[in-house]
Amino acid sequence: MLKIDRLCVNHGLASALTGVSIEVNRNELVAVIGPNGAGKTTLVNAIARILPVHAGDIFFEGEHVTNLSPLELGARGVALIPEGRRLFTTMTVEENLDIGCYRTLARTHRAASLDHVYDMFPVLRERRKQIAGTLSGGQQQMVAIARALMSRPRLLLIDEPCLGLAPIIVSQVFEVIAMIRDSGVAILLIEQNAVKALKIAQRGYILDCGNIVAQGSPAELEAQGEIKAAYLGAH
Amino acid sequence: MSATLIGQSLLSGLMSGCLYALLGLGLTLTWKYLRIINLAHFALIFLAAYLTYEMSTRGWHPFLSALLLLPVFFMLGAAQQVLMSRYKVDEFASVIVTFGVTIIIESLIQYVWSADFIRVEKRLARGSLELGPWLAPWDQLIMCGFSIIACLLVWVVLKHTWHGKALRAQLDNPSIAAAFGVPNRKLSLALAGMGSAFAALGGVFIALLFTLTPSQIYSWFGVILATVLLGGLGSTFGALAAGMVIGVGESLTMALTAPAWAPIVPFTLLILILILWPERL
Ligand SMILES: Nc1ncnc2c1ncn2[C@@H]1O[C@H](COP(=O)(O)OP(=O)(O)O)[C@@H](O)[C@H]1O
Ligand SMILES: [Mg+2]
Repeated sequence: MLKIDRLCVNHGLASALTGVSIEVNRNELVAVIGPNGAGKTTLVNAIARILPVHAGDIFFEGEHVTNLSPLELGARGVALIPEGRRLFTTMTVEENLDIGCYRTLARTHRAASLDHVYDMFPVLRERRKQIAGTLSGGQQQMVAIARALMSRPRLLLIDEPCLGLAPIIVSQVFEVIAMIRDSGVAILLIEQNAVKALKIAQRGYILDCGNIVAQGSPAELEAQGEIKAAYLGAH
Repeated sequence: MSATLIGQSLLSGLMSGCLYALLGLGLTLTWKYLRIINLAHFALIFLAAYLTYEMSTRGWHPFLSALLLLPVFFMLGAAQQVLMSRYKVDEFASVIVTFGVTIIIESLIQYVWSADFIRVEKRLARGSLELGPWLAPWDQLIMCGFSIIACLLVWVVLKHTWHGKALRAQLDNPSIAAAFGVPNRKLSLALAGMGSAFAALGGVFIALLFTLTPSQIYSWFGVILATVLLGGLGSTFGALAAGMVIGVGESLTMALTAPAWAPIVPFTLLILILILWPERL
């Protein structure tokens, strides 16, 4: 469904990704794990077309999408849950969700989509008139997830959804992501919490210093002693 | 100081407030949503006023002129925004660039119509509405109606329509908004166009209510900037309320002291806002 081929991305003169290749198949949840500064956010933002690509290719459903704008890529069914949530903080919860279904096609399903995400996060239904910037961190993350779901994506890019959240909320977020996976949406999940991420993922990649250093099923990754010690042991 | 005089001052102050809000509407919108401080707005108002005059000398009714001027100015505003974004003019540079545009338009007006005072003879409606001892000229009342309706319309659009929500989302977070399908560029052009169309509407009423001379462009800077800042950037009802506060302040100052003191009101307010309330910017 998503195929990244030898992607290179620079920040100014510094290269952040040097030839990263990954794949996400239909109905698959793929985790990308790696330490701070590894280039994980750079990777999803480049896929979402928010960052320019220096070299390499991105294919979505077999088509070359490397040169599309965020607007055009989103229209094909890719939605981003960005790092730090990046809500429309001066707007209400429901207005945030409205922007999620801004596109014509998603808009026609607005009522059903709202029901769906409000059933998933009942607290958002209660707070739908509240200004998003005034919610707690966990609730803001729910809005970010709900906003992306409102666009009825076929592929979700999720960047460190648990950053700065309390442990109890973290578990809820992972449950929700597993639910979305089960509903048939392909997911590329960026996480530092390797243990939890690999529990719900079918496959994982380990990214360090802008390179993929290991990949495979969760069991295969666990089986590699050095990888486990270096990247998976922390949590 | 008689009750009649005070009452009349209040009434004229409120009506001036409506005019200030109408003239500031486009300015406050482009300032907030496009981060452009468009001083050329004032020049566009006068360009529209002079064009209204020109058409009136050929027998055009002011409303007919407005019908022509609004779409033409919409295109002008959008074209200006194309250039502003093409050359990535930021908020600070926009002041200087658009001041330059103002001077160019002023020169153009002076070249075409000379610096002499001119006046549109046509009135929308003769005479005044008599409210007991107080008078409200019909033309001013019509202007107030247009101003209030324009403010109301803009508020509804911003608050309740898809375009309005998209504009606010774009302001909060443009790249994320784009990823969800918000067409940032189109919206910016449309908003700049609207701002300029409001300048045209304001200009039609300036032509109806005032004697025109090109240098008057600059005499509106203080009062309109004060209205926009006191009202809160992007807030249409804020602009109406602020305009009325300033208008009433001016007319009471005029009644109680001398007409020459009136401009003190907006400028004092402007300075106070900038000192005490800098986050208003
Ligand atoms: N906007 C930027 N400008 C310059 N360097 C950046 C920028 N964003 C990230 N970087 C650098 O790129 C590298 C990868 O960053 P990032 O993708 O945010 O990593 P991660 O998400 O894995 O923590 C880091 O070394 C970081 O300092
Ligand atoms: Mg990151």
